Amino acid sequence: MAADDPLRSKIVAGGTALVLMMRQGLVAPERLIALKHIPDLDGIEDRGEVVAIGACATVTTVASSPLVSSALPSLAYACRAVANVRVRNVATLGGNLAEADYASDPPAVLISLGAFCEVAGVEGARTVPVADLITGLYTTDLQEGEVITRIVVPKPASGTRANYIKYKSRSSEDRPCVGVASISSTSPDGSIASLSVAVGAVAPTPQHFPDLLEDAIGQRLDDSLAEEIAEAYASRIEPMDDLRGSAWYRTQVIRALVKRSLLDTEVGIR
Amino acid sequence: MTDLAAVEVRVNGQPQQLEVRGSETLIETLRERLGVTSVRGTCGIGICGTCTVLVDGKIVSGCLTLSAGLDGSEIVTSEGLVEDGRLSRVQQAFVDAGAYQCSFCIPGFVLAVHERLSRDARPSMEEMRHQLAGNLCRCGTYPEILDAVAALIGTADEEETT
Amino acid sequence: MIGADLRPTDAVERVVGTLPFVLDKKVEGMVHAAVVRSTFPHARIVDIDTEAALQVEGVLTVLTGADLAAESSIDPYFGGARKDQPILAIGKVRYVGDPVALVVAEDKGQAEEAASLVYCEYDELPFVESIEDAMVEGAPAVHDDYPDNACGWGKLRWGDVEQGFDEADLIAEGEYMTPAASHVPMEPFVTIAEWKGNKVEVWTAAQAPHSVRRTLASIFGLEQEDVRVQVLNLGGGYGAKGQTKIEPMAAVAARAVGRPVRLELTREGVFFTIGKHAARIRIKTGVKRDGSLVARLVDVAWNAGAYAVVSPRAVIQGMARAPGPYRIPNVWVDSRAYYTNTVPTGPFRGAMTTQVAWAYESQMDEIANQLGMDPLEVRRRNLLREGDLHPTGQPMHDVHFVELIEDAAAGIEWGDTSDVDLPPNKVRGKGLGVIMKSTVTPSRSEARIELRDDGSVVAYTSSVEMGQGAATTLLQILSHHLGIGTDSIRFVHPDTDVTPFDLTTSSSRTTFSMGAALEEASVELKHELTDLASSLLEASPADLVHEDGGISVVGQPGTRLEYLEILRRSKIEQLDAEGVFQSEGGLDPETGQGVHTIHWHQGAAGVEVEVDLDTGKVEILRCHGTSWAGRVVNPLRARQQNEGNVVWGTGLALFEELVFDEGQMVNPNLSEYLIPSILDMPRQITTREMESSEPDAELHGIGEMVIPALPPAVGNAVYAATGVRIVDLPITAERVLRGVMARRDQS
Repeated sequence: MAADDPLRSKIVAGGTALVLMMRQGLVAPERLIALKHIPDLDGIEDRGEVVAIGACATVTTVASSPLVSSALPSLAYACRAVANVRVRNVATLGGNLAEADYASDPPAVLISLGAFCEVAGVEGARTVPVADLITGLYTTDLQEGEVITRIVVPKPASGTRANYIKYKSRSSEDRPCVGVASISSTSPDGSIASLSVAVGAVAPTPQHFPDLLEDAIGQRLDDSLAEEIAEAYASRIEPMDDLRGSAWYRTQVIRALVKRSLLDTEVGIR
Repeated sequence: MTDLAAVEVRVNGQPQQLEVRGSETLIETLRERLGVTSVRGTCGIGICGTCTVLVDGKIVSGCLTLSAGLDGSEIVTSEGLVEDGRLSRVQQAFVDAGAYQCSFCIPGFVLAVHERLSRDARPSMEEMRHQLAGNLCRCGTYPEILDAVAALIGTADEEETT
Repeated sequence: MIGADLRPTDAVERVVGTLPFVLDKKVEGMVHAAVVRSTFPHARIVDIDTEAALQVEGVLTVLTGADLAAESSIDPYFGGARKDQPILAIGKVRYVGDPVALVVAEDKGQAEEAASLVYCEYDELPFVESIEDAMVEGAPAVHDDYPDNACGWGKLRWGDVEQGFDEADLIAEGEYMTPAASHVPMEPFVTIAEWKGNKVEVWTAAQAPHSVRRTLASIFGLEQEDVRVQVLNLGGGYGAKGQTKIEPMAAVAARAVGRPVRLELTREGVFFTIGKHAARIRIKTGVKRDGSLVARLVDVAWNAGAYAVVSPRAVIQGMARAPGPYRIPNVWVDSRAYYTNTVPTGPFRGAMTTQVAWAYESQMDEIANQLGMDPLEVRRRNLLREGDLHPTGQPMHDVHFVELIEDAAAGIEWGDTSDVDLPPNKVRGKGLGVIMKSTVTPSRSEARIELRDDGSVVAYTSSVEMGQGAATTLLQILSHHLGIGTDSIRFVHPDTDVTPFDLTTSSSRTTFSMGAALEEASVELKHELTDLASSLLEASPADLVHEDGGISVVGQPGTRLEYLEILRRSKIEQLDAEGVFQSEGGLDPETGQGVHTIHWHQGAAGVEVEVDLDTGKVEILRCHGTSWAGRVVNPLRARQQNEGNVVWGTGLALFEELVFDEGQMVNPNLSEYLIPSILDMPRQITTREMESSEPDAELHGIGEMVIPALPPAVGNAVYAATGVRIVDLPITAERVLRGVMARRDQS
């Protein structure tokens, strides 16, 4: 239905964003197709090496899931940090990704974890890495009539360090000015075995540069390497200006917080 | 969306059969159709929390919830927490602490505290602050609200405001 | 009863949510209105096409300013100081958000839908957004009558500042800016207007019902008795609801359609209705080496927005407050407001004080730094004391600034410099601020009380309950003076048909002013009772004494008559008494000399902050807020005022800012205009509502005395922590970081 009639029909999951846009007159659908009553889309499944999160699982469900808390603590933390409790109770992880709001927490964390989406549409099913899903401001790779059905997150090996820093420049209820998610694991000799860093809320899409991290593999994650990576990210990213901070300011904060995230300093909860 | 949708809900324990417009929000339904005045709207975008409502045990923003999607749901507002004329434990704690000034935002806080305590009887003060961060009080009654919370969770936190 | 922890009788309703607000009021047959607003900052109205709007089902009418201008029985302009604000824009629009049309429909949804279908065509005009733009010679004039955009000028001339500067050993000079802000009362503006024949009745969320009455009477050419204004509880006022706002729109609509009309503004509409004066404060102070102030020159420019509201009077308040609570022999203040094409501004909690206090308290620390003196000591040396003259020539009485700043300092352990182990990117610092405010003078409050023959009392005042606890506080005061228990006393809600005149519930005046009126009414009632008892007891009035709701002959408790007995035996069903509080004052328009205020409002704050040097983010670790109460009537309510001030001040200090760009208000919503949440509150808040040791000390209002001290205390603490002096509010992380990095680059 949504594919046939994209302007008049809108798919709704939690509805927090869609209802807002309707109230503001930005969209005026004649039909809302509610996903919440479709079974099987809201569970969280342990699939051994991955955790499969139903796209209609609410942010609260994800945040408070014992499985997510133990296997994917940085995701649980990021979900606890989203907006406020009323939004978390209703907003879904799939809806959050599909809306592709830049000032959002889950995308950066999911990218750092190497997550991908299972997508279903009239043409069939496919998978899309979250890193490739969000293509621009409020824009995704999803075609008309496609819905995310599951977000699949590989479980990091035990001993992996992962965190998410949500930096708010104004009040505590502000949307993020800069979000930094990082994850790293070490080899028995203490050198880096794997490393991923994603920065959200600073640009239309989450910022993630595997090429900047290649040389770090095999090195020790110390102060100076963390600084180097932070500087590289800060130089590569072209942040936006908005009321939360100028582009210049975001660059400084990116530099400071990427380093902090990598060294795991002062990160409230991992 | 001008068609009416039929929904059956329970509001504060009373079954209600309603016909709501497709774009009708829960706060509109509660205030206009059912005369529930504890739910107030002011920001229209789910930020301030004065429109907090319990739907199936979870707090939501009434201004962003479409009533048409609530068929079969259990809806509770602050009035609904009063049983046989007696205030709920949470409400009594607010009264005892004097946790109100203009009071416009207070029912929303009551529901937010209630929700958290219904999930977990002994959260930490930190968790309660986090739970309440999405309810705004312009008068600045936060200290007394936290006094009420401290009394409910049975702590006298040294860090607490006087 | 004074000093008792009395809880309001409606505490349960407050928590359960059944407390009545005008927002909940329904009037039989009422219809709904929605406002259409200008999208240009300054433009001629070419055409307003209401065709499509009128086609919407349920729409009854669409009114425009032209309709009102053509109506000879209406004066379509109103305003507290200048009648420059049209009910709906006439001829041109003067700010983005200026109401241009009003749709009336059977229900709110229809009205809003139709409002979105009103098509306005404008001819854009050059506009002025900032104070600087507005004051330039030849700048576009917001109002033709005021080609220089002048909207009031307060002049204070005291001593000889030039001579003072000559005598000074050190001159401190600076320019400080405070941004526009928004009151954000949780309850929006809401009014229901209904015509009954040639009389109009309104239910409205307003702080000054008699002011609304006078304005409506003026608009419609009615006697004031033909206008009735009723107010229930306000869901927050803070000054936003102090002057007439949407009542005229609702009233003209009700007259046009012949049905009661309800108008409730959207949150955006509230942002577009009233804001806080942005200000630019230039302050130059001459100081002697020993730290004593010898001269102060203040040039403060206020952004009045598109309409005057009360700016021409408010600038006088700002002028008198600009020198601060300091003893300075030579003072010159120019306090000027300018029209701009932005939202009209009006009194905002801490009115015309926060702005100047930001400047003078920041500068005070600059002075201390330059002299190598302790900021507390510099203040001690210069704060006004009993008997000192204020630069308006008024002797200070009942002032306690020194005690307040000492208390603020002690509250954060000012002298304690013991080191805390901090990570390398964190620094801490402490800062102080002390301020003075005044209360609108002259002013008038009237009260009437009725003693019934069942012993109960009904009190009639027009004081508005908006969370500050006016209802409870006045109840306690009246109970205290009458000697009758609070359970037997009831206050009615403000109703201009029934409750006598009160100037306004604002300016932190109610406890003092209405309290005084109630006291006078009590005295009169007691006299009347004494007269009656005197004949009943056949005793001379001089031999009678009142106690706890009864009268007896001195020394003969057996003769006691309860008040209700006195009435019944005198065959009187009801005894009335009235009381009036009237203050006098006024300042010379050329020199600012005279009587500025009936008494001085006083507050101070001490804060300790922690700054993250990598992000510039400032966290207030602890804050001690203190204000002079004189005598505390209700301890909980008093404490809540100070605590509420600390929370409010935190927002003003760190992030509240209404942003404009090309005349557009960028953030008219709560997602982008942020007010403090529970997590923004300083972790540790302590307060002191300072009282006199004298039993009959004067009651002082404390609704807004800590707010103005907060931002400069934070700014001073940030300076102490980082060496960075922020001169523009708010103290954003970005501003701090820029300062931190600039200092790093220099060294």
